[in-house]
Formats: sequence, structure tokens, C-alpha cells
Amino acid sequence: MKKIMIIEDESALRDELSIMLRNAGYDTVVVTDFENVSGQMTAANADLILLDINLPNVNGETLLQEFRKGSDTPVIMLTSRTTELDEVLSMSYGADDYITKPYNPTILLLRISAVLKRTAKVSQVQNYHDIEVSTVKGSLSRGGKEQILTKNEMIIFQLLLDRQGEIVTRDDLMTALWDNDEFVNDNALSVNISRLRGKLADMGLPDAIETRKKQGYVLK
Amino acid sequence: MKLTDYMKDRLAVYLIAGGTWVLVLIFLAAFRVTVQAAVIVSVILWLGMFAAEAWGFTRKKSWYDKLENCLGELDKKYLLSEMVSDPDFLEGHILYEALQESNKSMCEHIAEYRRENKEFREYLELWVHEIKLPVASLQLMCHNDDGNSSNHTKYAEQIRRIDDYIENVLYYARSGNAERDYIIKPVSLKRTFADIAIRNREELLERGISLHTEGLDVNVMTDGKWLGFILGQLMGNSMKYDATEITVTAEDSPEKTVLHFRDNGCGIPAADLPNIFSKSFTGENGRTHRRSTGMGLYIVKKLCGKLGHSVSAGSVQGEFTEISITFGKNDLHDVV
Repeated sequence: MKKIMIIEDESALRDELSIMLRNAGYDTVVVTDFENVSGQMTAANADLILLDINLPNVNGETLLQEFRKGSDTPVIMLTSRTTELDEVLSMSYGADDYITKPYNPTILLLRISAVLKRTAKVSQVQNYHDIEVSTVKGSLSRGGKEQILTKNEMIIFQLLLDRQGEIVTRDDLMTALWDNDEFVNDNALSVNISRLRGKLADMGLPDAIETRKKQGYVLK
Repeated sequence: MKLTDYMKDRLAVYLIAGGTWVLVLIFLAAFRVTVQAAVIVSVILWLGMFAAEAWGFTRKKSWYDKLENCLGELDKKYLLSEMVSDPDFLEGHILYEALQESNKSMCEHIAEYRRENKEFREYLELWVHEIKLPVASLQLMCHNDDGNSSNHTKYAEQIRRIDDYIENVLYYARSGNAERDYIIKPVSLKRTFADIAIRNREELLERGISLHTEGLDVNVMTDGKWLGFILGQLMGNSMKYDATEITVTAEDSPEKTVLHFRDNGCGIPAADLPNIFSKSFTGENGRTHRRSTGMGLYIVKKLCGKLGHSVSAGSVQGEFTEISITFGKNDLHDVV
């Protein structure tokens, strides 16, 4: 389980963030004492750090700059500052992403998993049961048999696969698609899912995607 | 300064001189001085008078002419006192001093307002950052409270609207400010548009609006956050004015990139079209549709102006509305 450290001084926000990340299957560490934050950052040994810019006693950007000298743990800046200058500064100090408050929770989760994937350098080929999933080629293959997925189908399948065994809501799927410039509507999403099901059935997995009524989909 | 005006102004002096001359003539006659001598005295007297007037006129004329000239040509009239020199005659000098003094006092006055304005804006920025925290908390609470899912989209939608209005205030304050608080750098049109689309996704889907994009795979020189706000405003307008289709295209040429934001909404009456970027203008559509403040496009225009983009609108009522933004290109940026 990936461990995410939350450095945020607004307690309501911190708690909700923690709940959301736990629900999404991450382990969380929250900083509540803002003395020696940089020491805690190193000690926590987290996989990813969510860092606010406006902190008591210290500025997040300075903290990041200091932290980067000794560690390359991915850091996502979360802030209510909305000028481009802050973003450019943070990125130049070594932040991996920069998200302004209030954030769309689904987008935040997508960005977190994107940053984790990028830094973990996951191989371009993943496995689902005995099917090889190639994101680069956009294909599924087993034995000599290959099935090409469209861009939309790949995005959907990727998200389901990342959260295999958990419920993925239609809202999450939609957000992921829109985040990739595919501005589909409800109908198109249903069509894409049924096509994806067809292709999985073709590969010998007819019931891979299970529908949970009023909740979403689960990849078994 | 015209000679006739000057002479009219000096009429009293001439009358006194004339009176003096008549008195002199009377005295000369009383002392039985010859006519020739009287003529010589008169000529000397009038020549002296003429010389004095000519000298007085020319030296004032050159200074006042310069003053009037400057006043006519300056587009910022208050800079007049910086443009004229201290003249060598008394009246001019007094005027010059008075001008300097009044200008200085005006500058102080303006500086005070500027400072107040700046303080207010700084407070507003701070306030916006603060209010965003509870908004962000609410949004997450809403997300975490997925159990009662039928309500959660409703709440999320209202939270998004609150956030939109907060952004409006922030960018309105920014657009009117003389300070430069933006950064021009290459910004992906595609990325920016996708962010705005996601932000408005629920409302777009609910209204059954479909999005089409073409050629957005270009970078433009602008401030990403500001451009996001501008596109958000345009999208908000499209949703407000009954569009069912939004088409965003970018035309890239060597000198410039033009972004066309087109919708098939109710359109703008031809009579209103020239005024849509004016402050507080709501027009016919404003009266027939909900929540129009007449501020959105005004702020858009101001932000574009500050960023150096030009913005224009075209529309046929009942058919379409198209807002075009032209981004300039700077070769220097490409090299760096």
C-alpha cells in the first residue's frame, strides 16, 4: 500500500483529504505539528507528499527546496494561491505537480496515481490475469491473440485495472476520459464500456467487468 | 498668444500712456515749446512705448505658446508641469510655481488612493485564498459523503458555483490593477481547455451540451491561469445562453494563433453586439436570461488587453456566437 504524507494546516481540509485518500486505498500520514516539518518529511519515508504552500512558521516552497536537496520523493503542491508565478516557482523547486484549491477530488486522485506511476517507472506492459496490457500499443494480448483497444477503451480499462477489485464510479471514468480530452457524454460512456466488455469476452473473459447498480463498475 | 488679444489685455496701459501724452502736450503748449520739439518728444515717447511693448510681447509669447502647444499635444494633460520651463518674467514664474505646487499636491492625493486601492486588493487576494479553504473542505466532504449519492452532485454543483463567483471577484480585481502579476509562457490550449471542461462537466452533461475541439494541440504565449478563467467565462456564457454545441478551434499561422470559441446558443442581437464587452452591459439577452451581471465579458476584455491578446465577437441571432482571441507570437520566446 502506497503511503501518502499530507502537510496541510487547515484541519478540516486535512482530515477530509485523509479520508478520501484512505477510501481510495492509500495509507496516509498527517502532519499536525508544524515544528521541524522538514525533519518529519524525511522521517516519514512516504511514497508521495502533498504539500501546502501557506504553512505556519514556514513557506511550502522553501520547505520543498530544502527537502529536494536530500530526497527525490514525489511532491504535489496543493495551494489556494492561484497565480502562475507560484506554480512556476514550485515546479522549478522540484514539485512533480501543482494543484489549486478547491480541487476536483477525482482529478486529484488521477494526478496522484499519475505521479506515482511516473516515478515508480512502471513498465509499459501490465498484466491482467494472463492477458498482457500494453498502454503504449493500446492493446491486449494473450498467446498469439491480440485485441486493439481504442483510446477511450484504454483509458477506461486502465482506470479499472489500477483499482482492480474496487468500485469505480461512472463519474470517475468520465473524469478520466475528460482529463484526456475525450469529452464524451453518458451514452458514449455506456457504448465504450459495452465495446470494452465485448473485446474482453473475445479474449475469453466475458464477465470481467461487473456492474454495481447505482455505484459503478468493478474489474474482477 | 495672439497680438490682438495681448493688445486688448494691455488696453488700460495704452489709455494711461495716451492720457500721459495728452498731459505732456498740454504742458509743452503751456511752456510755449515749438511744434517741432513737441513732435520730437511725442515720437520719442511713442517709440519707447512701442519698443517696450514689442519686447514684453515677444518674451511672453514664446513661453505661453509653448505652454499652449504642450497642453494641446499631451494626451496626459497632468504632465504639463513637467514639460514647461521656469520663465524669466514674474507672472510666468508665479504661474509656473503654482502649477508645480498643485501638481505635487495632486500626486500625493493620487498616491494615497493608489495605496488604499492596493491595500484593498491585497486584502481581497488574501480573503480569496482564505475562503477557498472552506470551499475545498466542503468539496472533499461532499466527495467523501458518497453514500447519499443523489445529493452529492447537487451540493458539488453549488460549491462549484460559489467557487466560480469567487474567481470572478479575484480576476476583476486583477484586471483593474496596474501591477504585473502574470507570467507569459507557453501554455497548452488543449490542457487549459480540458481543465475548464472538467470543471464544468456536470453542468455541460446536464444541459446535454457536446464539445468539439480541433487543432488545440498548440502552445500559445499567455498566462495559463488567466486563460483558464477567460475560457471558463466563455463556457459559462454558452451554457447560460442555451447552447447545445460548443466548438473550439485554433488556427495556427507563423505570426499568430487565433482561438475561436463558437456555440450555437441564442446569439446576440446585432444592436447589442458592439457593446457586449462594455462594463455592466446586459442587453436583450440579459433581460431574458438568468443571472447576467454584464461583468464577464468586460473582465475577459480587460484581461486580454493586459495580456496583449485581441478579442472580438461575431454572432447571428438565433444561430451562433463566436468569440475569437488572437495570441501573438514572439520569436524570442521560441528561441529561449
